[in-house]
Amino acid sequence: MLSNPFSAPRARHGRAPDVFRHGAWVSMREHRETDEVDFAIVGTGAGGGTLAALLAEQGFSVVAFDAGPYFRPLEDFASDESEQNKLYWTDRRVVDGANPIQMGGKNSGKAVGGSTVHYAMVSLRFRPEHFSARTSLGYGADWPISWQEMWHYYDLAEKQINISGPLTYPWGPKRPRYPYRAHELNGAGKLLAKGCEAIGINWTETPLATLSAPLSGPEGKSPPCAYRGFCRFGCTTNAKRSALTVWIPRALAAGAEIRDLAMVGRIETGPSGRATGVHYHREGEWHFQRAKNVVVAGYAIETPRLLLNSADQRYPDGLANSSGLVGKNLMTQSNQAVWGRMDEPVRWYKGPPSLAITEHWNYDDNKDFHGGYIWLGQGPLPNEWASIQTGARGLWGQKLRDAMLDYNYMIGVKMVGEMLPNEANRVTLSDDLDQYGLKVAKITYAWGDNDKALIAHALEQMGRSIEAIGAKGIFLQEDDTNHLGGTARMGSDRRTSVVDADCRSWDIPNLWICDGSVFPTVGGVNPALTTQTIALRTADRIGQLAAAGEL
Amino acid sequence: MATTRERLKASFLLGFRGEAPVARGGYETAPIPSKTEIVTAARRLNRAAGTIAASVLVDSAMEHYRGDFRNKAMWTPIVTSALSIGVSVHGHVDGRHGAHPLRDTVYVAAGLTGLVGTAFHIYNVTKKVGGFSWQNLFYSAPIGAPAAISLSGLMGFLGERVRDNKPGTRPMVAGLPAGRVVAALTGASLLGTTAEAGLLHFRGAFHNPAMLLPVTMPPAAAALLVYAAVGPAGVARPASRGWLAATAAMGIAGVALHAYGVSRNMGGWRNWRQNLFAGPPLPAPPSFTGLALAGLAALALLVDDKDD
Ligand SMILES: Cc1cc2nc3c(=O)[nH]c(=O)nc-3n(C[C@H](O)[C@H](O)[C@H](O)COP(=O)(O)OP(=O)(O)OC[C@H]3O[C@@H](n4cnc5c(N)ncnc54)[C@H](O)[C@@H]3O)c2cc1C
Ligand code: SF4
Repeated sequence: MLSNPFSAPRARHGRAPDVFRHGAWVSMREHRETDEVDFAIVGTGAGGGTLAALLAEQGFSVVAFDAGPYFRPLEDFASDESEQNKLYWTDRRVVDGANPIQMGGKNSGKAVGGSTVHYAMVSLRFRPEHFSARTSLGYGADWPISWQEMWHYYDLAEKQINISGPLTYPWGPKRPRYPYRAHELNGAGKLLAKGCEAIGINWTETPLATLSAPLSGPEGKSPPCAYRGFCRFGCTTNAKRSALTVWIPRALAAGAEIRDLAMVGRIETGPSGRATGVHYHREGEWHFQRAKNVVVAGYAIETPRLLLNSADQRYPDGLANSSGLVGKNLMTQSNQAVWGRMDEPVRWYKGPPSLAITEHWNYDDNKDFHGGYIWLGQGPLPNEWASIQTGARGLWGQKLRDAMLDYNYMIGVKMVGEMLPNEANRVTLSDDLDQYGLKVAKITYAWGDNDKALIAHALEQMGRSIEAIGAKGIFLQEDDTNHLGGTARMGSDRRTSVVDADCRSWDIPNLWICDGSVFPTVGGVNPALTTQTIALRTADRIGQLAAAGEL
Repeated sequence: MATTRERLKASFLLGFRGEAPVARGGYETAPIPSKTEIVTAARRLNRAAGTIAASVLVDSAMEHYRGDFRNKAMWTPIVTSALSIGVSVHGHVDGRHGAHPLRDTVYVAAGLTGLVGTAFHIYNVTKKVGGFSWQNLFYSAPIGAPAAISLSGLMGFLGERVRDNKPGTRPMVAGLPAGRVVAALTGASLLGTTAEAGLLHFRGAFHNPAMLLPVTMPPAAAALLVYAAVGPAGVARPASRGWLAATAAMGIAGVALHAYGVSRNMGGWRNWRQNLFAGPPLPAPPSFTGLALAGLAALALLVDDKDD
């Protein structure tokens, strides 16, 4: 009988689940709450999970907290879209603004491994100019890190995550060969390719964080992808390279402790103004863990919420907020799609959904708006497809039934587009309380004119591409968004950013933020590889600062 | 004594039979069981042809079953390789001198089938989106696979040519010393097969170091064979023979390694119905065994061929 990952923590009593073997455990070092650990990390996703492994491997004592459960993919994941809603952060949140963001499965996970447990594995590098968007392209904000440095850490990230990708990537400066070969294109991928060729733009196989061959890594043995297409609902095979299968096992092996079902509610600061530890809720009680350093890695909503909820007498506006920017400049990415019906069956549900990509529009500057976008092949599973039919097309009853019968013939392409930072788009605290008694986040969002122009351009191009290959009954899905960023941006000036290039907060030298919220701009590609890359760099920098006695 | 050129020309006219053929009837009506080196070498080549054909039979049956036999032509390699196995067994038990017309016909047919199959697989690659790209080389109908049946045909055909030499004569193929011809062609075939294994193991990112074996051992064997083909005759070459024997063994071990590869897929062998197709092909590696056997036959011929 399987234990319920939600009923009680699994990482306890000196052991944690071995995600690679049924029912097995790996040993886990544990720390007392009275021990002042080197790092308390809040969140174990793309940012926190990566950092937990890399800091522990450098010999730091690490405790990483996650509000979500510790899943065993081989046992807990079902091939069932509804069941797998358990992966998402569906706690109460308030959304408003002209274009309220739909929260939950689209954009936030709550599990050890964070959103990478259900992410679509698309692993892209920013366009180099996107790191200096303000000076090179005239919009948004510059990153405090050069693209050359990021390129170096991207190399390391791709290698350690073991990305499967094309032999030559058609855009951007040279990069090393991906560790594993690209996957076979499914019907949807081939049609994306045909569509791109029909309108004269380049395409390639998408670099994906799922294995195209078996892997025996230091973290464990994984089989290659089985092409069943449940990626966004939790990969049952472990072919997916999520934080849960890449970084967390490494963190444990290096002596980090993971605390699952542990919601951090407040960061404590001491008389010196430095962070002293975290208050967290686990097994029905509040606890306090002492720490020399606190890293917040809860993603772009929960990170500012925790900083704001940690306001105290000394920091009445929340921690690390002397710039007033905590929670501001929230960005999502536009995720509009065009759909159509082919005459021949496509069976788009086979394999990872986004096997082919065009990044052409990130590299073409002859557009009358700022920013760029990509588009990817799609393979929504039936529930999601039904909700697109009811949502984007308003179909119900017999019409909906008829539309669903075309499932095997459908194709679609979906964009991931850059949205520009805007201080009015933000996370604040609502007066509503969640199950832990904490103020919930209020998320305010409106698209700007530039965002709308970019979306219109993408919809037009995507429509052209599938029309050119004979898709019929084309319709648009016009109001979807996905990944998040901003709300604790990094920069080189403490007045206009929350953290520096090392993800260290300007205000509190032992408070760090290392996740998607530090992005000053979101670029026109999916963010998770960049988040992990930043964590790699941050870990290196922390090592250097420690060696120099500057922690 | 005819010049080499004349002999070559004659051999083409005579259906590639090398030296003027011996009267067939005599052998057929009054078989003289002969244990001459010529027949031994020919039978070795039959075994080589049969081994490769067996590899092709199982491989193409599995792959084309997976492809639902969508195109009737997908039965061709199955029929051809089965026939090639049949005549190879026949050749193996046949202790007589002289080429056999049925064996010859089947081997030539196998050789041609492979060529047509290769053309077809290339066409299949080029018509896919992306054309001649890594994606299609990796995942479309494998270009090298049909060539394997050609190699079976080639080895069998060479066996028949060798066998067609008179007992006690110096074995020739197409007017050239048989050992050298077989060594050179086997060397080339090994390189071709290496290319196929290399492509697919590259697709698998050489994730297991054992995947390097079929891209290192066979090329070395090929080099040894080419050296033997042009080098001095009448030499024992124990190291080369040892290396070829090891290459033959590698082909068999490859089945076990591929079986391990199958187990590395989700569900392992419990899920054999899917993983036999998702994992590395079990029947493929023995192609190397077949070619190594042919190489051993060539070396044996060269040892006996002292008349250089
Ligand atoms: C359906 C979906 C598909 C995606 N596909 C892709 C893709 O293909 N490519 C790509 O690049 N990106 C993709 N993303 C985005 C990507 O997953 C995220 O950008 C990335 O995981 C963010 O990393 P993070 O570390 O900032 O946060 P997360 O990975 O979300 O991790 C945050 C963790 O912190 C925990 N947490 C938060 N607050 C607290 C607290 N107070 N106490 C304790 N724990 C807390 C949460 O439970 C969560 O586990 C996808 C996202 C979704 C939802
Ligand atoms: S398609 Fe591949 S990556 Fe996606 S869930 Fe299945 S095995 Fe995992």
